[in-house]
Amino acid sequence: MAEVAYGVWDGVVHDARDGSTKTRASIATLKNFEEFDDGNPIRAFFGDRGFFVFDENVSLVDGLFHYMRKAAEQSCGACTPCRMGTVLVRDALDKMRRGLDSPLGFDSIEMLGEQMKETSLCGLGQTCAIALLDVLRNFRDKVEAEIADHRPIRTQHGMAYMTAPCIEACPSKINVPRYIDYIRDGKPENSLGVLLQKYPMAATCGRVCVRYCEQACRRKLVDEAVGIKTLKRYVADQQKGPHALKFTRDMIHKPLEDGMRVAVIGAGPAGISCAYHLLLHGYHVDVFEKSDQAGGMAQIGIPSYRLPKDTLAMETDIIAELGGRFLFGQQLGRDFTIDDLFAQGYKALFLGLGCQQGTTLGIEGEHAAHDGYYSGIDFLLRVHDHVEGIAPLELNGEVVVVGGGNVAMDCVRSAVRLGADNVHVVYRRTEGDMPADQEEVLAAGVEDIAFHTLTNPTRLMTENGRVVGVELICMEQTEPDESGRRKVRPIPGSAFTLPCNVFIAAIGQQVEDGALVEDDGITLDKWRCVEADKGLATSRPGVFAGGDCVTGPSTLIYAMAAGLKAARSIDDWVQLGTLRFFKRSRMRQLLSDNRILASDVVETPVRNAYRVHNPELDPELRKHMFGEVEQTICDKQAYAEAQRCMRCFRLYTVITAHSIPEGAT
Amino acid sequence: MDTDTRHPAGDNAREATISLTVNGRQCTALPNETILACARRHDIFIPTLCELDDIDHTPGTCRVCIVEIEQSGREGVHAVSACTTPVREGMVVMTRSKRARDMQRLQVELLMADHLQDCATCVRHGNCELQDLAQFVGLTENRFFDRVKTQTRDYDDSSPAMIRDMQRCVRCQRCVAVCRYHQEVDALVMEGTGVNRAVALRNATDYDKSLCVSCGQCVLVCPTGALGERDEVDRAVDYICDPKITTVMQFAPAVRVAFGEEFGMPAGSNVEGQIIAAARKIGIDVVLDTNFAADVVIMEEGTELLARLKEGRRPTFTSCCPAWINFAEIHYPDILPFLSSTKSPQQVLSTVAKSYLPEKLGIPPERVRVISVMPCVAKKDEAVRPQLAQNGVPETDLVLTTREFARLLRREGIDLKDLEPSVFDDPYMSEYSGAGAIFGTTGGVMEAAVRTIYAAVNGKEIERIELTQLRGFEAVREATIDLGGPVGEVKVAMVHGLGDTRALVEKVRAGEADFDFIEVMACPGGCVDGGGSLRSKKAYLPLAMKRRETIYNVDREAKVRQSHNNAQVKALYRDFLGAPNSENAHHLLHTHYEDRRREMQLTVKEIWEDITMSRTLY
Repeated sequence: MAEVAYGVWDGVVHDARDGSTKTRASIATLKNFEEFDDGNPIRAFFGDRGFFVFDENVSLVDGLFHYMRKAAEQSCGACTPCRMGTVLVRDALDKMRRGLDSPLGFDSIEMLGEQMKETSLCGLGQTCAIALLDVLRNFRDKVEAEIADHRPIRTQHGMAYMTAPCIEACPSKINVPRYIDYIRDGKPENSLGVLLQKYPMAATCGRVCVRYCEQACRRKLVDEAVGIKTLKRYVADQQKGPHALKFTRDMIHKPLEDGMRVAVIGAGPAGISCAYHLLLHGYHVDVFEKSDQAGGMAQIGIPSYRLPKDTLAMETDIIAELGGRFLFGQQLGRDFTIDDLFAQGYKALFLGLGCQQGTTLGIEGEHAAHDGYYSGIDFLLRVHDHVEGIAPLELNGEVVVVGGGNVAMDCVRSAVRLGADNVHVVYRRTEGDMPADQEEVLAAGVEDIAFHTLTNPTRLMTENGRVVGVELICMEQTEPDESGRRKVRPIPGSAFTLPCNVFIAAIGQQVEDGALVEDDGITLDKWRCVEADKGLATSRPGVFAGGDCVTGPSTLIYAMAAGLKAARSIDDWVQLGTLRFFKRSRMRQLLSDNRILASDVVETPVRNAYRVHNPELDPELRKHMFGEVEQTICDKQAYAEAQRCMRCFRLYTVITAHSIPEGAT
Repeated sequence: MDTDTRHPAGDNAREATISLTVNGRQCTALPNETILACARRHDIFIPTLCELDDIDHTPGTCRVCIVEIEQSGREGVHAVSACTTPVREGMVVMTRSKRARDMQRLQVELLMADHLQDCATCVRHGNCELQDLAQFVGLTENRFFDRVKTQTRDYDDSSPAMIRDMQRCVRCQRCVAVCRYHQEVDALVMEGTGVNRAVALRNATDYDKSLCVSCGQCVLVCPTGALGERDEVDRAVDYICDPKITTVMQFAPAVRVAFGEEFGMPAGSNVEGQIIAAARKIGIDVVLDTNFAADVVIMEEGTELLARLKEGRRPTFTSCCPAWINFAEIHYPDILPFLSSTKSPQQVLSTVAKSYLPEKLGIPPERVRVISVMPCVAKKDEAVRPQLAQNGVPETDLVLTTREFARLLRREGIDLKDLEPSVFDDPYMSEYSGAGAIFGTTGGVMEAAVRTIYAAVNGKEIERIELTQLRGFEAVREATIDLGGPVGEVKVAMVHGLGDTRALVEKVRAGEADFDFIEVMACPGGCVDGGGSLRSKKAYLPLAMKRRETIYNVDREAKVRQSHNNAQVKALYRDFLGAPNSENAHHLLHTHYEDRRREMQLTVKEIWEDITMSRTLY
């Protein structure tokens, strides 16, 4: 365990140098602070709540200089104290560490630090002087001693990292405050540029993302989370029309020679994202897709009233614009094998197979049902074909959908649009427990869908293979167990039946049978998902995997994040034969292990200003069509919403004994 | 109402349910109100810079209005910005504590760190909000100023009309706000980070590729000398002092009612006589009146409108306002066929002053230089339009804004107050009707036009000369006017301010608006509050109504109130032009417009190169 020599955290001074132990207990919980990377001890850590020194010989002046240099580099320049303060303090510390006379002494630096902390507009300025002030107020003797002999201080190793709660919450680590800044600045195209650094499907994400960022948004502590997804959609939708940004081959930093080919299997969000980043790394990428369109679950699993097909197509087309090649109608296990691809000379493969096979409920009567029975995913596939005009689908009578996730919500809302007389959701837990996006649940509610929560199906009734009804039982919640979780159990004697013409089991999906066979040499886990390590490498060298086929059914944003990560790993593997250390990832781990970013108060009052919502089509109208329900907000709304972001940027640096390996960036 | 007895919360007294103390004084505040707003209602002064209440602008960026607060549930005393922090029940606010004052002062010192403080050479000298602010906080030191770094900041003089001097910008973003939310031109963006943060043009480095229409509202709200007109006082002096040149000066309808304040006269004073006297004193050879040209414009535009109505072409938009012309050309080129082809009064006067006038005065036209005094920066832009030059010689040689004219007089040691008012003496181009006079305010062009068109259609004057139904101050006003005769009822609209203009144009394009004639003035209020008018500190358009009232008085007191009854105008047509819209008139007094739509064709690569701060991926 790393021993803290001295430091200040949340205003509490720790000093083990004098042998006092009374404050050591509170910092004994520091986890994983011993080494940053193998054999590279962490000497000091500076953050938004204070600092720790592990190695007494560390230079605070130099450490604070590196910290403030990052702050000055990242200061947006909007407010006076942060804009000038970071620069003045940085320059003064720079002079000091170089053994030169500084125009400002420690008293002036402290005054500027106080001004920044107390009067800055956003989280960066408010927090970037805290460690500085902690040092100057509690360990002034240390820094004065460091510069006493006017000798240059040896430059120390380390890294600086700026983040925010929303960034850390996002699987793709989108710099959310930055793209909101660009909207506020009047540069929505730059805002889109920030998104495109991480994935090509911004308009798609701006429509269907489950918004981990908004859950982490600190604006919630004032009124409501910033409409981050709404803003994302706004900037992405600027792409329509004459001012759309062009994707050009010169985006590719360094094109690689012809032989550097990588195959991506599956054109879903994970595959598209992986292909995009591989292309940007200079690889030649072929995307194998079993259907005849790109998009995967975003294409077939998300109904067009949430994600119009042309919006998605515009974004998957980016792959072709960057020189990638789609090979449609190519199914793994049917049309080719993994061995085939390696034989064709691909240097590496990415499996983005998805989970496209519905899970059955395992209730009585399910096997006998041939007519009127669908899995959620099969039903959505039929809906997709209906919207595309391939195979019209008309429903009438009673539709019962089992499940509480987004797929279930997509099924019920689609069923309404297909003309069903009544549509029911059956879910065994409470409405609050539904894993579906709350907004989807609400939207389904106003579209007159009947919710049967705390209800579970027990038997499917059929006549000659035709579904005619379903037997249900009411459930009740048990008392919370030790973990506080309440289970559900059936209430004896509460069974009842619902007439039912179409029954949809939307309770889960799995990797399709037959896609991977034993000969492929890819290990599956006990849930029959592809097993992959932290770098998304599978058991077979050169084969990487990500998205639903690794995690089980998950979200678009996780799949896109996996695509990015796999592309990084594939690049390392092809170029170096091994995966490099990824220092930002290590920093994130340090922050999350120690809950350093956890911050749950907004102390200074902020004026209430509630968030904007996307305009929506009237429920009575939209119930009858597959046109997009939500519309883009206007410029004025976007500017107003962008103003709500509090820019909760936080800055962290570590000082290490040796230089940190420059890994994938 | 006696303000002393008014409740500080004004009409919302009943809603002022929150009690707090400010500097020990018991105050009541509205829910969600800021400390600053509450303090102002209670007449407690807090120094501010970036905030501008008149345009509802509170970016919270300058951080000067720091006050200390104590609040329940939080230990100790904390510094917060008064402009963005809402009041809370029981809050204790101290605006004058030692720490608050020190922090306010330090903030101003930090603002000065990269503000070019060559005050003596600045157009805002003596009239600058930043200078005032330094006084408010008692600034005595300037420890952080770095001249070399400051002078690396951008200085943009690519516009013929305006200068954008980032060396003097304090990043208050008022210009961005007025352009974005009020004019809805949205030509300005904030660019760069840290000390490089600056106001920039959207998708353009140069003015001529930008979305800017030169309306100049940004100049009116700028607290410092960062934004201003291109100063051409020197060139004016050059002309005046050149004995070979005959200088002709014209001044716009609104200038005479929006100029006296500069010399300490009451707002809205009519200083026409003093301007004439001053012009002569500084050596202008011939003093003419743009009002005369406004009457000519009515003759041309009225005739044109009637012809278009006959053809069933509708609507027709007015064309006197150069910022509006820029707006149409850049933002809505598809509506250009609906704009009247009549030149603006400035250009009509200049054209006639270089053709008809030399003939009458017996001077060589090539020796004439027209100096135009306008409450407008877009007029500078208009003067250099290639289609407004004859054989490469611009019709209008030089445009001075009202502000520059004031500087010119100062250079000549003139104080307007001390001058004996004079009168025009040119017998050809200085008489004007009341109709020409009201061109300077929103609705004025329409009213002037109706007076003349009615007479043209009916062969007699309209009975009620003052068309009060056109005179409101709402952003968009609509009216139906019976012109009688074969024309009958026409539907007219008047709009001022480009934000509302945009909405109206969108309606017209969508076929949702049903109008025959639409008057557009780009500046809110019309020319009386034009972008070239005198600047007000900490206020936006505070004097509109007074100036407007004076303009209507000029009309009321005019002997002749219809353009077509202006004797000098009649003489011009009789002796020189022929009839309105005649071939000669068309050649000299009409113009054409150009599609200047801006295309933005950016690649993702270019965007990525422009992105700072999040460039961590590649």
